[in-house]
Amino acid sequence: MTSIDVHGLTKDYGATRAVDQLTFSVRPGRVTGFLGPNGAGKSTTMRLVLGLDRPTAGSATLGGVPYASLENPLRRVGALLDAQAAHGARTARDHLLALAVSNGIAGTRADEVLEDTGLAAVARRRIKTFSLGMRQRLGIAAALLGEPDVVMLDEPSNGLDPEGIIWIRELMRRMAREGRTVLVSSHLMNETSSFADHLIVLGRGRLLADLPMQEFLDSRTRPGVRFRTTEAARLREALIRRGFLPVQEEDGRWTVDGATAEEVGAAAAVSGIPLLELTELHTTLEEAYLALTTDEAQFAAASSPTAHQEA
Amino acid sequence: MNTSTTAVLHSEWIKIRSVRSVSFSLMAIFAATLAVTVLAFATVGQAEADSPGYEPLFSAFYALNFGQIAAICFGATALSSEFLNGALRISLSAVPRRGLLYGAKVSVVGGLALVMGLITSFATFLVGQMFMGEYAIGLGDPGALRASFGGGVYLALIALFAAGLTAVLRSAVAVLSTLIPFLLIVSFVVGDVAGDIARYLPDQAGQAVLHQNPAGGLGPWTGLAVTAAWAGAALLAGWWALRTRDA
Repeated sequence: MTSIDVHGLTKDYGATRAVDQLTFSVRPGRVTGFLGPNGAGKSTTMRLVLGLDRPTAGSATLGGVPYASLENPLRRVGALLDAQAAHGARTARDHLLALAVSNGIAGTRADEVLEDTGLAAVARRRIKTFSLGMRQRLGIAAALLGEPDVVMLDEPSNGLDPEGIIWIRELMRRMAREGRTVLVSSHLMNETSSFADHLIVLGRGRLLADLPMQEFLDSRTRPGVRFRTTEAARLREALIRRGFLPVQEEDGRWTVDGATAEEVGAAAAVSGIPLLELTELHTTLEEAYLALTTDEAQFAAASSPTAHQEA
Repeated sequence: MNTSTTAVLHSEWIKIRSVRSVSFSLMAIFAATLAVTVLAFATVGQAEADSPGYEPLFSAFYALNFGQIAAICFGATALSSEFLNGALRISLSAVPRRGLLYGAKVSVVGGLALVMGLITSFATFLVGQMFMGEYAIGLGDPGALRASFGGGVYLALIALFAAGLTAVLRSAVAVLSTLIPFLLIVSFVVGDVAGDIARYLPDQAGQAVLHQNPAGGLGPWTGLAVTAAWAGAALLAGWWALRTRDA
């Protein structure tokens, strides 16, 4: 199976450094979420991996080979970069057919992926009549054309309706289960947390984190619990005696920072206080990500005032 | 020719036939030339044949002036369709060897333009002469066969010239709005003023092949070779632009 290996990758556009000494590997068999704010260098990195842009320094390889050296690359790597890029005057089928033929892929595959992506009915319509969601599906169809080991999708859920978003999530999970390498960029945190096993986080072109999703969440999680009880005053005292500081929320629930459910549950049991609800608080990917990038943003604001743009 | 070259050529053919503006321009080379030939020869054909300085062979290809505009449109739109909205990224993802992609595209554009050019050139000669009555000349007349063949090659070279410029400028609009006024206006005006230099302009040089006895320095094949040099230079510049730039 094929992994994506990026080593010391750097790309300057004029005076702007879009990608800064990136080193990471994307492994097969799992979905890797590629996170970062707009302008963090996600799209640039994907273009560099595909050999579309030339790196200023460093290298990007697929299974040890640069993309440009792959024979029939669509059979190895499927990429969705920009759903608007397909020529509007062509029909969806002709667009896919031209791609398939160039890589020695049977023309019937074009019909299959059109079917798989729900575009069979509009296969002979010109792409300029397509909605954003349909173009997105066409871009995904093109990525699937060669049944590749490696799939790179840049913001695949752009413009998709809720069913489409569920569909693409299931598709990515399935491809990872089949042992393929799946790299998916997004700036939508909740969505990414619904499909990614592993995360690579970029900020201003630099690598901020490269670790399993759960580890990323845990590393940013301070334990905490929320509870509801009929004898709040007594439990509050009991918890304060144990060194915690319960705070009452507007809805009547209490939260305790730094405590685990075991500790609060035990405290309640010892005092014979009935608990109506006891929940551990989990950090969402969004919170963990924001905590990570806030540090980075402060550093960035202090070191350089120039804004980066999505390149 | 290995499989992948054949495959990429086939893919480029699909790309050209599947964009209407490109395939229409290709057909317009024939349609425009024939339409103007019929119109011009049916109305003023024989009337001018008596005037002094009339050159029956060169006049037979008068309508190529219009066909060459379609040839420019064909060369320009065939290439520019790759530069719209980052379409080139999709093409290069499929065929990352830029030389192979560019070479295949240029070959298909050149090949199609040559076939269409030859059909057009022979057809315009033969159809035009049908209206000429007693003044008619045939393919057996001196220079006629060479001019008909050369006219087709000329159209292909003009299409390739436009294709190369489009690869440099990445825009059909830029190429069309430079090249067409140039051919229609500048070349005529400059051609009258500065004869020596004008002979080496891409259109004037190549059109030497349409004359029975080309006046001035350039022979029919030399003239065509000068146009080929222009086209080759434009294609090389296009290759250089594609090879070095980020897609």
